[in-house]
Parts: sequence; C-alpha cells; structure tokens
Amino acid sequence: MLEDELTVNTRQREGVAIIDLIGDVTTFAEEKINTAYQEVTNQGSRLVLLNFRQNDYINSAGIAILIGIVTEVNRNSQKLAVSGLSQHFQKIFRMVGLAQYADIYQDEDEAIQGFKSITTT
Amino acid sequence: MSNDTSQNGPLEKVIELRLPSKLGYERVAMDTASSLAKRMGFQDDRIDSLKTAVSEAVTNAIEHGNQHDSAMKVVVLLTARDDELIVSVADQGRKPLSQNCTTKIPHLEEIMEQPDKGGWGIWLIRELMDEVEFTTAPSGGNQVRMVIHLER
Repeated sequence: MLEDELTVNTRQREGVAIIDLIGDVTTFAEEKINTAYQEVTNQGSRLVLLNFRQNDYINSAGIAILIGIVTEVNRNSQKLAVSGLSQHFQKIFRMVGLAQYADIYQDEDEAIQGFKSITTT
Repeated sequence: MSNDTSQNGPLEKVIELRLPSKLGYERVAMDTASSLAKRMGFQDDRIDSLKTAVSEAVTNAIEHGNQHDSAMKVVVLLTARDDELIVSVADQGRKPLSQNCTTKIPHLEEIMEQPDKGGWGIWLIRELMDEVEFTTAPSGGNQVRMVIHLER
C-alpha cells in the first residue's frame, strides 16, 4: 500500500533516448532507474532525456539517484535533459545545482527541440 | 476551518500522528500536512515546500533516528495557528543526529565525487521552511520543529 510505485520505460525519439519515469522517485527507484540508464548507454545513446510526470513525488533519496545518473552522464560524455517536472521540483533541481548538468524543459516536445538546437549548432 | 475559541482566547488546533518506522509512512504525514495547510489557506507552492520538508523530516526519523525498527514510532505534531503551521517530528533516538549533520551545506560537485550521493534532506528542510530547529525530544530522541508562515 505504501510501497513506491515507479514505472520506467525506455524508448528512442529523433536520436534521443527517453527514459519515462512514471511514479515516485525515492530510494526504491534506484535499481529501475540505473538499469534503464545502463540500457540506453549500452545502446550507444549520446542524448538522454529523463521524462517525469508532473505529479510525481521525488525525495532526497531520489535526488541522490539522479545525481548518480548525472555523474555517469558526465563520465560517459553524454548530454542529459529533464522534462515534465512540476514547478516545485524544477525549483529543487535548481537549488541542488542539477540544472548546471541537465537542461530543464517543460515537456518532452520542448526537450526534443532543445536537443536538436544543441546538436545542429 | 472555524476558529475555536474559549475564555482564554483562541485554541491551537493540534493533530498528532504516531507512525511506524517504515519507509512509506512519511507519505501519511505529508498528505496530512498538505490537507491541513490547504484548509488553512496556504498557496500551492508553499504546500509543495511543506510536503517535501515533512517527508524529509519523517524519512530521517525512520531511517536514522529509529533505524527502520517498525516497532518504534515517529511522532508528528501539526499545530495550526492563525498565522503559521508548526510541524514537529520526533523519533525515539536510537541514533542521535550530529551537530554537523544538522548544519552542513552539501555541494553538488563534492557529492558527485563521493560514492554516497545523499545528504540533502536536512538542508532541503532548512531551505524550504521559515524556521527550523533541531532539539532533543523529551523522550530522548531527535526532534525537529519546523514553522511555515501563512502570508495573506
């Protein structure tokens, strides 16, 4: 009843590996998120989008998992963006400093356009 | 909510929760705080801040103070006043919080170099609430008292 429910899907769109995170990003999410990231990285993806849903619950353990992803993205010379975060979690991402490492977009379409403008310049 | 009054002036409205020390129960505290704050007239962004702070405080109590022992309780007191909401979270203190842990400011670049990427909870509480105080509970455990002001 109180366990976290998180569904993680991976897909490709216009050269971007999208990791959909539907549900709560807390300590229980670690394995699912890391597995999805490894999967898209093993497929050779250079552009990675973490696509959240507006009403998700993200706590500090979830932030720690995302910092782990950012660290790996830097190590692997990939480009990371996030989309679909509520205003509150966008604020927290900025407070923590994650916005320096991942561009924040309102939604998936905006993120795809953002990636295009980076890769064509 | 109606204003309860007595001969001695307005009464504080207090809600007490006693939660098992099992991850997931922080949501009950979060949802209760959110519901109360909404009724008090807090704006949505302030309620989001409150939810994160309450969730972090209760999670700390479950994980650190009570060491995941589900028989131990986390006691959450929500006190609604006319102009503020006070949330106090107390554990049974198997493991006291160090002074360093309640005041340190995490830096992302340093944390990225470490195997443990955590340690953001208490800092987030301090950033998101208007007043935050860490003390020892009467029971001997850790206690955090957080206040969020109602701006009308």
